[in-house]
Amino acid sequence: MRESESQPPVQVADLRKKFGSQTVLNGINLTVSKGETVVLLGRSGTGKSVFLKLIVGLQQPDSGSIRIDGEEITGLNLGEMNEVRRKIGFLFQQAALYDSLTVEENVAFPLDRHTKMPPSRRRDRVRELLASVGMERDFHKLPAELSGGMQKRVGLARALALEPSILLFDEPTTGLDPITSAEIGELILSLRRRRHVTSVVVTHDIAGARAFADRMVLLDRGNIVAEGTFEQLKRSRNEFVARFLDGNAEESKCRESFA
Amino acid sequence: MDTVGAQSLPLVALAGSATGAVIALQTGDSLARFGAQTMLPAVIVFSLIKETGPIITALVVGGRVGAGIGAELGSMRVTEQIDAMEVSAISPYRFLAATRVLACILMLPLLTVCADFCGIIAGWAATSLGKSLSLRLFLEQGFRDVTFNDVIPSTAKTAVFGLIIGLVACFQGMRTSGGTEGVGRAATSSVVLASLFVILADVLLVRLTLVFFP
Repeated sequence: MRESESQPPVQVADLRKKFGSQTVLNGINLTVSKGETVVLLGRSGTGKSVFLKLIVGLQQPDSGSIRIDGEEITGLNLGEMNEVRRKIGFLFQQAALYDSLTVEENVAFPLDRHTKMPPSRRRDRVRELLASVGMERDFHKLPAELSGGMQKRVGLARALALEPSILLFDEPTTGLDPITSAEIGELILSLRRRRHVTSVVVTHDIAGARAFADRMVLLDRGNIVAEGTFEQLKRSRNEFVARFLDGNAEESKCRESFA
Repeated sequence: MDTVGAQSLPLVALAGSATGAVIALQTGDSLARFGAQTMLPAVIVFSLIKETGPIITALVVGGRVGAGIGAELGSMRVTEQIDAMEVSAISPYRFLAATRVLACILMLPLLTVCADFCGIIAGWAATSLGKSLSLRLFLEQGFRDVTFNDVIPSTAKTAVFGLIIGLVACFQGMRTSGGTEGVGRAATSSVVLASLFVILADVLLVRLTLVFFP
């Protein structure tokens, strides 16, 4: 067994990030095992998306360690970081499809740049990826012609193009209707079953996340306040955890807002 | 290339023509006071080739293309398309910026030649409104003393203008933040800064041209 295979795919230690005087992450420690799906929960602005961007090197931490397959990625140069990024697929909150390219061209884009597939093999691969997310009939459309849910599906197909072993999802179901949200959840679940990918999912959709999460991590003010399965979190005596899971606002904050 | 070059051509041709006609009308009147009307074709040709054609082209393209690139890349930045490219291990600087900068460098000199041509023809047309003058005679008088040292450096310097427009617009676009308002700011600052740097670079390049091509 190679050394990288015995290492956890994602290992974060004492991760800190500030924007100006605002502390976003205040010493996060998190290890994600191979094939595990971890869901990050927390109020808006608690640094969940920043956490994902740090893992993929889009932002640099102030301090701390981030290891991908055992390799420390903080301080890597661009070429080395790009090698690491090829192992990671990222689904953005708004899908981030290239708006001047068709659905097919969007999915083919990473394949064009990183593989030497002949055009016919590449086209088959793109169609196969689109079929896996139920978008095979819309390959000729531009992103502007797609609904939010369809854009997320295409974004997922693009993220899977290079067969990453780690997938990062930034609010994959935000802004979608319940049925489409459930379908995206099913896709995440089937990815774990079929490909055994390791996933980190940032979401506010607790009910949806229960379907695919192996473990839930709750962030508050830059710290992990609770961690475990939904049932374990439900049993937590922490007042914030209970309020977050029940969707209750803090009474004093409500009074302040309406004062 | 198509967006920077072909699609800018009508605007550059119109700006060049208008400039040529205005030089003919304004300078013709001034030269008449000194009894030097025969110098008019040479004044139009020299003025357009050496300075007016290149700077008008750069400012027009800077406005049109600079705003376009700034807004396009800015919009890609705020919608996370550039992040998506980086996550796919593809350099947005090479894929998005280098191609646009190169297109600006290659297209500016060609567009300048078009602006010069249209300006000279419009200059002849405006001149011949006042007195009958054949195009052949106009060109003969205009180009009699023109040398390569007049044409090549002043046209070639527009490649530097293209570099400035491309770099400034790509830089402003890539560093956009703040949603749609940020995209607007990126487009505006691309045009303002590109125009400013083009004018400043022109002063420097004219000085250097006079040193190396006296």
